[in-house]
This record gives sequence, structure tokens and C-alpha cells, in this order.
Amino acid sequence: MSLWLCRQEQVKRPYYMEALRVHLYSSQELSYVIFNHPLLVMDDFVNEELLAFLRDELNMGFLALKLERWLKSAENPDETLVLILQECDYYSAADITRYRQLLQSLRKKHPAEYGKMKADELFSLRRYEKAAGMYRQLLLSPRDDYVNEAFLGRLWNNFGSCCARMGRMEQALAAYEKAWELAKSPRMLEQMYELTRLDERLKLSAPIAAMINDEQREGWDAAIEKAKQEASGSAAVLQIDELFARDPIRRQQGAARLLQQWKQEYRSMA
Amino acid sequence: MSVGKERYGEEMDGLIAGVDLCDAYTQVNCAGEEKVWTIPTVLCRSREEDLWYVGEDAYAHNLKGDGIIVDKLVKLALRGGTATLAGVRYEAADLLREFLKHVLELPGQEYGRLDFRQIVFTVRHLDTRLIGILRGCMAGLQIPPERISVISHPESFIYYTLSQKKEIWNNTVGMFDLSEECLRYYEMKVQRALKRTTVVAEYEEMEEGFNLDILDSPSGAKLADRILCSCADRMTAKKLYSAMILSGKGFEERGWAEGFMKQICFNRRVYTEQALFARGAAARAQDILVDKNSPEKNGSPFICICEGHLKATVSMNVLHRGQETNVVLAAAGDSWYERRAVVDVIPEAQETIDFVITPVDSKKKRIVTIPLEGFPRRPEKTTRVNIQIAFLDGRTMDVRLKDEGFGELFPASDAQIRQEVML
Repeated sequence: MSLWLCRQEQVKRPYYMEALRVHLYSSQELSYVIFNHPLLVMDDFVNEELLAFLRDELNMGFLALKLERWLKSAENPDETLVLILQECDYYSAADITRYRQLLQSLRKKHPAEYGKMKADELFSLRRYEKAAGMYRQLLLSPRDDYVNEAFLGRLWNNFGSCCARMGRMEQALAAYEKAWELAKSPRMLEQMYELTRLDERLKLSAPIAAMINDEQREGWDAAIEKAKQEASGSAAVLQIDELFARDPIRRQQGAARLLQQWKQEYRSMA
Repeated sequence: MSVGKERYGEEMDGLIAGVDLCDAYTQVNCAGEEKVWTIPTVLCRSREEDLWYVGEDAYAHNLKGDGIIVDKLVKLALRGGTATLAGVRYEAADLLREFLKHVLELPGQEYGRLDFRQIVFTVRHLDTRLIGILRGCMAGLQIPPERISVISHPESFIYYTLSQKKEIWNNTVGMFDLSEECLRYYEMKVQRALKRTTVVAEYEEMEEGFNLDILDSPSGAKLADRILCSCADRMTAKKLYSAMILSGKGFEERGWAEGFMKQICFNRRVYTEQALFARGAAARAQDILVDKNSPEKNGSPFICICEGHLKATVSMNVLHRGQETNVVLAAAGDSWYERRAVVDVIPEAQETIDFVITPVDSKKKRIVTIPLEGFPRRPEKTTRVNIQIAFLDGRTMDVRLKDEGFGELFPASDAQIRQEVML
């Protein structure tokens, strides 16, 4: 139990963290992002723009200078992240030690695995376009013990999920089919079936359709119906119902706001 | 102590004044100067023109019949009252401003300058409303707020006494203040410590206070002497004093108080000073300037514990650079009406904000816990709490806790807590 004293920071021009699409206004927020999203900050995060933010907005000129010198030296660039955490005084020494170990373990990973983890993180942040691009890139990785059929199957699967989330159903189905060919996971079959239920224009290829038995089909249909029922009572749907119950002027205003929000969400997927 | 080092006109660009503002009289003294102006706190407006008179002039015009007088200006202003003079309705604060304008012109005319570098008002009852009114009055006279300060009579007593030779204050100093408004007994003690000396001044309002008019008759004077003897007996018996001071209009002439003088002067040094509070305020004004001009800005060289000052230190235990440290938000001796503190903290594994209250007269610390009720639940260490403290009086701290969120990552909510904490 403790209270952390915050530095007095008068930030006029916040730092824009592109990967998270947020502006950072304090050294605590910067530390939080570095600590909780290591995969997003391990490559080229500490750049001139960040140094300027540290120097000019957070009044941490000494740290900026230290980082600048570190980057020019041949030392491990990951240490720059540790230096920032140490100077910002938001995490304890024990937390920072654990973070350093985490960075080391991530660096030891196979480049393809590291890349996939990074893409997965972008996926979890709903940055589907960016994640999809990374999965495609990773699919070109040279084959070895790690980059085997199972791994490539997972990449195609995740790529398909990105496409599905962006509404590119045909592309998603094609990706899932490739994933099935490589990894043969029953979950992939289920996903393909779900896609055809969501978009009636899509048809499963004959060999894949033959793989699905009646029992599976019934189970998945039930799950889809249940999900639909749950969705119809969700807060988002209730919000729309409430909106359309209002008078025309307020409805129009609310609809415009909601549409703007959806547009924003869709843009942020890119 | 820096008092007495600067005179009004040396190496500066304005007067340094102390103003003792009471309902009966107002006294003005400039730092380092002997002269004191004593003006009855009355204001008179001409019946015919927009002309104003103060003090004795006001009485004169009123007697002549060409002016209408208004008195008890401080009380009137505190009540937020009004007065209608020559058919015009005036707000009490405006009347007080007019009065002070004329009063402050007096030293200006004497020393050939009208600008003030620092003014300290000393008042009998320190009240936030009165402080606000005085600041408003000064703003109306184009005197910026940073050049204005308001202190209590006990604080003036401290500053006046400490501006005297050390032998005067090296032990307890007592003071009887007998004015038209009341009879008060003041006592001051200097407590030396390794870090910083603490000066404590208290007063007691004597219920036996009497109207000074009774001194005009021999029987009344005798009664007044007996009253004072009984008060002196009660307040000063068996105490060691390095000095005893008599102040106020009642002691201008002391022939009526034979018994009291005999009693009070026995084995003691006794001084009389009619403008003690104004001189003390001027000394304080000078001290403020010395501190403003010093690079360290250490504040007063001693901790002043009296009316208008906090008797307890308010602090918080926080983590800074990985170590637990104690951050002082308000220290014992700070002026409670001027003291404000704003700090941002991030709680970790706790849903409360704890304040440590340490009274100056005891080492017993007290923890005051305010739960962060109504604050949204977020991941660990992602709620910045803005803490603002101010004081409603010497014993009541006003705490405001505001949810600041955590930037765009976890936006702020409207959650706010306001609580009064008794010190």
C-alpha cells in the first residue's frame, strides 16, 4: 500500500503513441505504456521525437541526453527503455528488474515468433490492418524447425481473423481454408462455418463441407443463435433502441454521434 | 529577525506600512519610523458634494452639520451592510475603501510618496471575509494583492516584541491591552529548538472589560483599577516575565491605575506602547519583503504559533524515488488563510488517501483517512488523484480529492470528494 508522488509536468504538446492511438501527457503514462506493451516499444520507439518530448515537455533534458548518447553507442538499445522507467519513478526497482528480464527473454525468441507476438498484440488492440500486414509479412519467413506447417497455419488463421474483423469475409474464408490445410485444427472448421452463417453469399468448399458432421453443425448453430440473442440484449443494441425512441431532432443528433464513433472505430482498425 | 534593517525610503520603491485596523481607531506606522498616525475609524461625507473626511475631520464636519458620519466600518463591512449618506446608498466595503484611501495618504504625504511596497493590516479578529474585503479595498486602490497581508493582533505582538532587544523577550512576555472595545491579556513565549525557534502567542479576552468613559469619574477609576488588579492577579501570579507591556488607549494615562501599576511593576520591567500592533504589523511587512528578496525564500526565521497560524503540520507519506518520504502540505506556523497545497498522487494497492496530522504541542501523530468512494475501478496505479487543501480556519482543513484519470489511457471521471478535516 502506498501513494506515488507525481512529478509536476506541464505538458503542452503531448506525445502521440501511434500504436495505441493515444496521446501521452505525463512520464507516468509513458512508463505505463513502456511497461505494459513491451512489444510495441522494443523497436525504434526511442527516437528523436520521443527525446524531444522528454526534453521539452517533461523537462527531462538530462535523461534525453543520456538516451541520445546511449543510442549512439553500440550498447543494447533495450536499455534505453529501462533507463526511462528508472528516471520516471513510476515502477519499483523490482518491477524494472522483472521488465529487463522480460525484454531479454523476448529478444531470445525466434524472429518469427517475436513477430507473431507483436502482430497478436496489435490484433488485441484492434489494429487489424496493421496486424494483418505483419502476418502476411511473417508468412514469407523462411521455413525451419520453428516456422513449420502448424506455425504457418496459426499465421493464416490470425490473418483470417483480422480480415473477418474488418468485414472482408471472402478474404477471411480463403485465409481460414489455408490455415485448415496446414494445421487441421477443428476450431478453424468452426470459424469457417460461422463465416458462412454470417455472410450467406459465402460457401464452404466441398472437401471442407464434407468434414463437418451434423452433430457439429447443430452445436455450432446453437452457439451462433445464443450469441445472437445475447447480442440483441447488449448495451450497444439497447443504446440504439433508446436512440430511435427519441424525437426526430435528438435522434438525428444521436445517430450522427454514433456514426462518428463507428467511423472512428473503423479508422482505428487500420 | 530582520526587523529594523530597512527604512521606508532606502533601496526600495515604496512605503512599507503596518495598519492596525479596529472599529474604534486605526493606527498607521511605516517600518523603521517613529511616527504613528492614530485616526478614529470614522468616515464623513459632505452633504453637498462628493467630499470625504476621516477621523477627527469627520467628527468636525459632522458637528458643523455639513457632513454625515458613519462609524464601526469594520463591523459594517463584515456584516456586508450598507449606509446611506447624503441620499446615496453605499456598500460598507466601498466606505472602508474610501476610509483606507484617506488613511494611507497620510504617510504618503509625510514621506513624499504614495506607492506602497508592502502593507500589513493587523486586526482584532482574523476572518477570511475581512481578509477578502481588505484585499478588495486595496485592489480598488490599485495596490496588487501580493503587496497586501493581514495578520492578527497576537502576531503583531510577536513581531513587535521580537523587534526589541533580546532581553525583553528571552522569557515570557505579558501584555494588557485596554481599549475602548475590550480588555485583553496577551502572553508570548519563545521556545528555542535546534532546527527552528518557535514563538507562541495567545490571548484571553477578559470578561471584565469596561467602557473607558468610567475613568472620567474618581469612583469609576477606582473600580477600573480594582478590575485590573484582579485580572493581573489571575493572569500573572507566580509567573516569571522578561517584560510586561501595557498597550491601548486605556493606558495612555495611568494615574487612575495606581494599584494595578504597583502590582504589575513589582520585580518586573514594564513598558507602555500605544501603537504596538501597528508597529508590529510594519515589522511583519518588512520581514515579508526581506523574505521575498532573499533567494532561499525560507519564510519567517521562526515558527509563529498564534491566531491566524496553523498549530499542526499536515503531511502525507508518499513514495518518491523508490523511498518512502513525508511530504509536508502545510506546516505548523503557516498562515492558514494563505496556505494552499496542490499535489497529484497515484495510489497503489490502496483506495484511501491518508493525511498525517502532527500538532506542534505534542508529538502524537494522527492519521486521517479519506476513502476514495465513487472513484472508478481501474487497473493498478492508473488513477491520478489531485489533492487540494486549503483551510477554513486555524482548525479546519478543507480537502478536495479529484479523479484525474490516467491521460487518454484511462480518462478522468467526474468523481470528486470534498471533506472538512478537523486538525
